Amino acid sequence: MPSHSPHNHLLDALTIDEKDRLFPHLEWVPLGLSEVLYETNKKQHCVYFPTSAIISLLYVTEDGASAEISMVGSEGMIGIAQLTGDGTMPNRAVVHSAGHAYRIKGHLLKREFSRKGRLHDMLLRYSQTLFAQTAQTAMCNRFHTVDQQLCRWLLLSFDRLGTDEMVMTQELIANMLGVRREGVTEAAGRLQKANVIRYRRGHIQMLDRLRLEKNCCECYEAVKVQTARLLDMNLLDMTQQ
Amino acid sequence: MPDFPKPDHNQLLSTLTAAERERLYPHMELATVSLGQVLHQRGADIEDVYFPTDSIVSLLYVMDDGASAEISVVGHEGVTGVGLCMGADISASQAVVQSAGYAYRLPGSVLRDEFRRNGSLHDWILRYSQALLAQIAQTAVCNRHHTVDQQLCRWVLLSLDRLPTNKLIMTQQLIANMLGVRREGVTEAAGKLQKLGVIRYSRGRITVIDRPQLEALSCECYSVVKREFDRLVATPYIRQSA
Repeated sequence: MPSHSPHNHLLDALTIDEKDRLFPHLEWVPLGLSEVLYETNKKQHCVYFPTSAIISLLYVTEDGASAEISMVGSEGMIGIAQLTGDGTMPNRAVVHSAGHAYRIKGHLLKREFSRKGRLHDMLLRYSQTLFAQTAQTAMCNRFHTVDQQLCRWLLLSFDRLGTDEMVMTQELIANMLGVRREGVTEAAGRLQKANVIRYRRGHIQMLDRLRLEKNCCECYEAVKVQTARLLDMNLLDMTQQ
Repeated sequence: MPDFPKPDHNQLLSTLTAAERERLYPHMELATVSLGQVLHQRGADIEDVYFPTDSIVSLLYVMDDGASAEISVVGHEGVTGVGLCMGADISASQAVVQSAGYAYRLPGSVLRDEFRRNGSLHDWILRYSQALLAQIAQTAVCNRHHTVDQQLCRWVLLSLDRLPTNKLIMTQQLIANMLGVRREGVTEAAGKLQKLGVIRYSRGRITVIDRPQLEALSCECYSVVKREFDRLVATPYIRQSA
């Protein structure tokens, strides 16, 4: 069970009428670490609104290399292509922190989306935060060190977890960042030595958030500020501590 | 009479219904846009949006230290400032003309009002935004995993698809700024392509000589992006004229 109540920011923002129509169709489902919600270019049928789970949108290249383009937690949703496009995307969606999400059939959500009320506008604004995060990832991949990127990734994750500890292997982080595992081991080792994080048997604990932010590139702050502005969220709410 | 591009030369405009045309055309103006012209300043209000016909616009992100890189391009398949329809009031990227030509200019408020009528434009804009997101994501992956040589090929191909000719007017410095790499990296990569007889580069002009070879040398990112655009926004009109 999540330590905080099962909220999703987008669902919370709906009007009473929208909630009345939509909520009977929501299922609260557990999502396990590394569970694949969508495969690349496969038709999607369900949309997920995470409450405590975190999902990574990953691109996989032809030779099997991968890289995360965005991560989604309780501020967002998975499956926007079912509303804006034809329901397929050239990326995978993989659970990177186990937890729960509300699930709904894509065609039911689409019906509500087509009414063009609050839900429609909120989800489009959310899609803009995905643009911002994805573009910032592109920049980060180009210009910043693995050390900086690891800090960005940890901060974005901890913000969405609402705790200061997560279950995560270095191998998984390497797949998300699209770098070699050794690179992550080295970077994590440096953060551990500086007492910024503690890494032990698949658990990462954040000891010093301020210094984690200081070691990070501008990309974390840029994504956080843009997301908060577009979704009309308090910056403190995004850091659920 | 010179042959001015028609609105239908832009893929999104070509999808408009008669009623949509009636509402939008009176507000639309054909504009010439020149190399390096900034259409949207990062962080500024989006006042006008541009539907390129034969011009190409780069969407750039600029970092705090001034380093920049392109996150996507917009040509005859799209429109700049699409975020305006999705609730973004300011431009997240800097939109710079990468290849001079024509574009239809429309006040952003007119596009937004039309989008809110929820007609066919609404749905096309959403499909277009989906394809644009795929392009940005592919850029992120390309930046991570592929060589400058491959990226240059991808970049030239994406540009070529948006131009009526096989010639790009472009300095290596500008390409370096778009790709977010050092100029020397671009010079080297372009030199290799020239040696292989794939392109000819002289005095700020790139001529593509062997397109199949260029595609073979590119990473998969070009074809993934192209497939998404073809699937989501290619209209019958464009398919016929291509």
